[in-house]
Amino acid sequence: MKEFALKSEEKFHSHYLNIEKVNKRMTTRLFINNFVKYLFLASTMFGLIVLAFLIYTILRDGLGWINMDFLTNRLSTLPERAGIAGAVVGTLWLMFVVGPVTMVLGIGTAIYLEEYAKRGRFHSFIQTNITNLAGVPSIVFGLLGLTIFVRMFGFGPSIIAGGLTMSLLVLPIVVVASQEAIRSVPQFLREASYGMGATKWQTIRNIVLPASMAGILTGVILALSRAIGETAPLVAIGIPALIIPIPSSITDNFTVLPMQIYYWTIDSVLVDEYASMAAATIIVLLIVLFLMNSVAIIIRNKFKKRY
Amino acid sequence: MKKYLVTLLLATLTLVSVACGSEETDNQADANELSGAVSIDGSGTVYPLMARIADEFMTSVEEGVSVEVGRAGTSAGMQKYVVGETDFSNASRPIKDEEVAELEANDIDSKEFKVALDGLTLVINPENDWATEMTEEEIKTMFVTGNIKDDDHVLWSDIRPEWPSEEINFYGPNENHGTYEFFVDVIIEKQDLVEGINLQQEYSTLVSLVSEDVNGIAFFGYGYYANNDDKITAVSVDFGNGPVAPSLETIAEDGPYANFTRPVFTNLNLDAAKEKPQVKAFAEYIFSTGATTFAGETGFAPLPDNELDEALDFIQKLN
Repeated sequence: MKEFALKSEEKFHSHYLNIEKVNKRMTTRLFINNFVKYLFLASTMFGLIVLAFLIYTILRDGLGWINMDFLTNRLSTLPERAGIAGAVVGTLWLMFVVGPVTMVLGIGTAIYLEEYAKRGRFHSFIQTNITNLAGVPSIVFGLLGLTIFVRMFGFGPSIIAGGLTMSLLVLPIVVVASQEAIRSVPQFLREASYGMGATKWQTIRNIVLPASMAGILTGVILALSRAIGETAPLVAIGIPALIIPIPSSITDNFTVLPMQIYYWTIDSVLVDEYASMAAATIIVLLIVLFLMNSVAIIIRNKFKKRY
Repeated sequence: MKKYLVTLLLATLTLVSVACGSEETDNQADANELSGAVSIDGSGTVYPLMARIADEFMTSVEEGVSVEVGRAGTSAGMQKYVVGETDFSNASRPIKDEEVAELEANDIDSKEFKVALDGLTLVINPENDWATEMTEEEIKTMFVTGNIKDDDHVLWSDIRPEWPSEEINFYGPNENHGTYEFFVDVIIEKQDLVEGINLQQEYSTLVSLVSEDVNGIAFFGYGYYANNDDKITAVSVDFGNGPVAPSLETIAEDGPYANFTRPVFTNLNLDAAKEKPQVKAFAEYIFSTGATTFAGETGFAPLPDNELDEALDFIQKLN
C-alpha cells in the first residue's frame, strides 16, 4: 500500500491538495476497497455453500433409494413396495393443465396490455395488480382454489382443480415475461407491417408473436417449473396424504412430487425410511426442474434475434 | 409458430371439454370388480392405521378402488365430513353435538364406530432421568394453568422437591386434533392448559421438539411414541397400583393403563355406504380384517372381537 502514498517533495505535488490529509485517509480507503470485495465474495459463497450442503445431504440420503422400482411403483405405506409413479404422472398432468391455460390467458393478457390497451389509469391499474398478484403468498391462491374450483365448481381435489389453481398462481409470471418479450420487439417491425397494409391482428400474429416467442416460452417454462415445485396451494385444496391409483383422467384426484416430499418428510417420525424416500423424490424433482430450466435457456438462446 | 399456437388452443379446448364431460363416469362397473373412490379425512392419530388398511385393501382386495386418506386433524376433517365431502371421517374423540347437528342439517346419515384403542402417552427427553415415573395426579396437575404457579413458569422441583429446579417446557398437538380435545376434556377435565404450552399441528414436530429439549414434556398417541422410542422416552404413569409403562398390552381394554386409554373412531357416512358399493366394501374390510391385522404394527391395541363383529354386522345389514 505504501507505494500509493504521495510524497510531498515530489514534483507534481499540488498546492491545492492537503497531502497530509490524503495520506492519512489512504490506508482506510484501500482497506475498505479490499473489504467490500471479500464481503461480496462471501455473500456469493454463502448461497453456494448452503446449496452444496443441501445437495450433498439429499444425495447422501436419497441416492440409494433411486431405482426402477421406486420410479415405477405406485405409492404405498410400506417402504419396500412404495414408488413415485403416481406423483410423477400427477406432476405431468398438472403441467398439462397449467401449460395451455397460462399460455392462453397469460399471452392474451400480455398482448392486450401491450398492443391494444390505451396507456392510462385503467392500464396502470391492471399493471399494478398483476405485479401485486405476483407477490401474493401461494397459500392464498390455494384457499382461492379451494373455494372456487374445489367447492363452488365441485371439482374436488382433482387435477383440473389443482391445475387451475396453479395456473392462477403462475399467471403473473407468464404475463410479465410475455409483456417484456412483446415490448422488446422493435417498433419499426410493426410499422413496416402496417406499411404493407397488414391489420393489427395480422401484425401481431405474423410479426410480434414470432419475434417474441422465445421470451414468452422462456416465461412459460419458468412458470411451469414454479408450478410443479409448489406445495402450499395443493395442501390447501386438500390433496390426500395417501392416494395410490395413478391418475388417468383430468377429473381424477392426484398427488404430485412436492406433496409426496412433504408427507414423507412429516411421516418420517412413523417410518424411518420415509426420510430417505423423501430425499430420493427431491432428487427426481430437482432433475426435472433442472431439465426444464435447461430447455428454457436453450430456447432463449436458439430463438433469440438481435435487431 | 402459428401452428404451435393453434395446437395449444385446441389442446385447451379439449381439456375443457374433457373436464366437463367425464364427471360421472366412475363406479357403476360390474359387481365383482369395484371401482370409484373412497374419500377419508380426519385424525392424524388414526391416519397410520387407516392408511395401512387402505393400502392393503387396494393391493390385495379391490385393486380398482381408490381409497384416499387425508389427515387434516379430527376437527378439520369433521368440517369436510359434515357437508358430505368425505365418506369416512377418522376421529380421536367422540363426535360433538354441534357436528351431529350439522350432519342433520345437511341430511346426512352418519354412524360412529370405534376402530382401535390408543394410549395417551406422555413423552420426555431421553436425558431426563428423573421424571420417568409420575403419578396420574401429578400429570393432571402440572398441565393445568395456575395449579402450581400463578405465572405458569413451572419448575420440575415444584412437582417433586428432589427434581432439578429447571423450568418445564410443555408441548402438545393443537386444537385441530382430537388428541388435544381428549387431553383437555377428559384428562384435565376441561380446565385451561398451562400458559405458554407449545401447540403444534404435526406430531413429527412434537417428536423433534422433545427429542431436543431436556426439560420438555409432550402428550400424544402411543403410535407416535412407539415408532420413535429411540428419540424420546415414555413416562410410566402410576394410577395407584405402581407405575405402568404404556405398551400394546397395557393400553388394551381393562389393561392397567386404561385410565389414559381411549378408543379412536371413524365416522361413516351411511348414505355413501348405501349408494357406493366401494365405500361399503371398505367399511366391511376395516372391521372384518383391517382393524385387527394392522392395529399392532401402527401402535394401537385392537378392540375386543365382539365390538368389531357388532360393527361389521351393522355395516353388512346396510342397504
